[in-house]
Amino acid sequence: MSDSPLDPFKDILGVDLTPQRLAENLASYHDILKEIRKLRELDLTDVHPAIVFEPTSVYRRGVYRKGIYRKGPGK
Amino acid sequence: MSRELWAEPIESLAPRLRARKLSPVALAETYLDRIQRYDATLHSYICISDSVLRDAREAEAEIKAGRWRGPLHGIPVAVKDNYLTADMPTTAGSTAPGLSFPRRDSAAAARLRKAGAILIGKTRTHEFAWGNVTPPVRNPWDRERVPSGSSGGSGAALAAGLCAAALGSDTGGSIRMPASVCNTVGLKASFGRISRDGVVPHSWSLDHAGPLTRTVGDAAHLLNLLAGYDPADPACQDQPVHDYTKALGKPIKGLRIGVCRNHFFERNDVDVEHAVEQAIADLATQGAIVQEFRLPLLDYGLGAIFAIELASSTAYHDVSLRAGRTAHFQPDVRTLVEIGRFVTAADYLKAEQYRTVLMDEFRKVFERVDVMVTPTTPITAWKIGDWHVDVGGQQESVLAASWRFTYPFNLTGLPAVSVPCGFDRRGLPIGLQIAARPYDEMTLLRVAHAYERTHEWTNRTPEL
Repeated sequence: MSDSPLDPFKDILGVDLTPQRLAENLASYHDILKEIRKLRELDLTDVHPAIVFEPTSVYRRGVYRKGIYRKGPGK
Repeated sequence: MSRELWAEPIESLAPRLRARKLSPVALAETYLDRIQRYDATLHSYICISDSVLRDAREAEAEIKAGRWRGPLHGIPVAVKDNYLTADMPTTAGSTAPGLSFPRRDSAAAARLRKAGAILIGKTRTHEFAWGNVTPPVRNPWDRERVPSGSSGGSGAALAAGLCAAALGSDTGGSIRMPASVCNTVGLKASFGRISRDGVVPHSWSLDHAGPLTRTVGDAAHLLNLLAGYDPADPACQDQPVHDYTKALGKPIKGLRIGVCRNHFFERNDVDVEHAVEQAIADLATQGAIVQEFRLPLLDYGLGAIFAIELASSTAYHDVSLRAGRTAHFQPDVRTLVEIGRFVTAADYLKAEQYRTVLMDEFRKVFERVDVMVTPTTPITAWKIGDWHVDVGGQQESVLAASWRFTYPFNLTGLPAVSVPCGFDRRGLPIGLQIAARPYDEMTLLRVAHAYERTHEWTNRTPEL
């Protein structure tokens, strides 16, 4: 088990990337983060997010009926 | 002007098929022949069905026996490779090992088959419907240029006359952008209007299924077939479905056309800007009332859609990510899936809060107007391999520019359609985007058709 200073970061991200790959990804994220920072500036305290928790959904036919993406022996 | 058979819209093919003046077999053979001749360089298909001619013969026999199923009967339709199909493999554009997709029909494919359509093949998508390009597909109008994406295979195949219509999917513009740069119609109906059951998910709250067609009339026929409640898609809404062909041919005098002067008209290719301004003037000539307004909140939209799309895609691919399988994804898709981990839960929810406010802003706009018109994309088809383009005199990344005008309607779930509205000085197609209130596809198609029928753009086909 390594004691790299990146280990807690990897835990938080939940992926095991090399320091080089992590640096590349952070660079790729730079422009996107700029846009997300703009979004963070908005005061939306009193706004309900546009996602709906709907407790009856699982009782409707088919919601979890069909998997699509599955691990398999490969193509 | 008479069109070649391969360039005819469904609305003209269907009556001839029904009257047995055209054979479904001859029609299918026409497209198969063109696929054979041209798709080695266009690469729009990843798979051709081996039952095309058998299905065409069945359609012919049924029509002969008086069992005409409707306007799609005997019509060859291509299906984007992220829709599951029982008789053709689905890859979602991925060659990563360890993944497979069920052999069953998606809801849309099943509806097409029931209507007698012939599923001619699967068109290429960028991996997992990510991105604004569709390698290795080339644009039939200029094979050095992209057909955009991620439904670029569908756009290229349709524009080249390799099918009569195609299915695409649209998370930030992936139906409308290929339609715009390939000179076809691309319809993203309201979120929840068309079932996505059996479409490989990309971002659950942004994904839309829908058609690319030659004409607005064909889009109405496809929407008639695809619209409707399906409990297998948790987002599908039980809303009234109309006969959308009744929207065609109606005057637009007195309809209020909204033009949002910020965001959509601040930085465009000069030819795009000119074509769209001309289209607005043409709609006004037909009696529509043009109303201009501004929506400053759109300045925050890019961060919101990035947060939602990245986080959702990464959640969907979580198992692959933790198993190291994403290392086999295409490099750009791998990066996007990995960096989705950087989006915090708070950022994601902030984006969903933003959506509420944005939807409300659009609601207020649609109290004053009946539809909005914008360019579909600020640029025409860009060269393969270009990552930056000149937009209105400024260098801009293709990633930021290409979907700028389409993603607001994914964030808000509003119906939007791209219709051909001209060509730039290099002969590349330009698209006009029209958007409407939720579930008001009737007004959307009414305006789109009013524009289309007074112009000749959809009659033009690329030289191959």
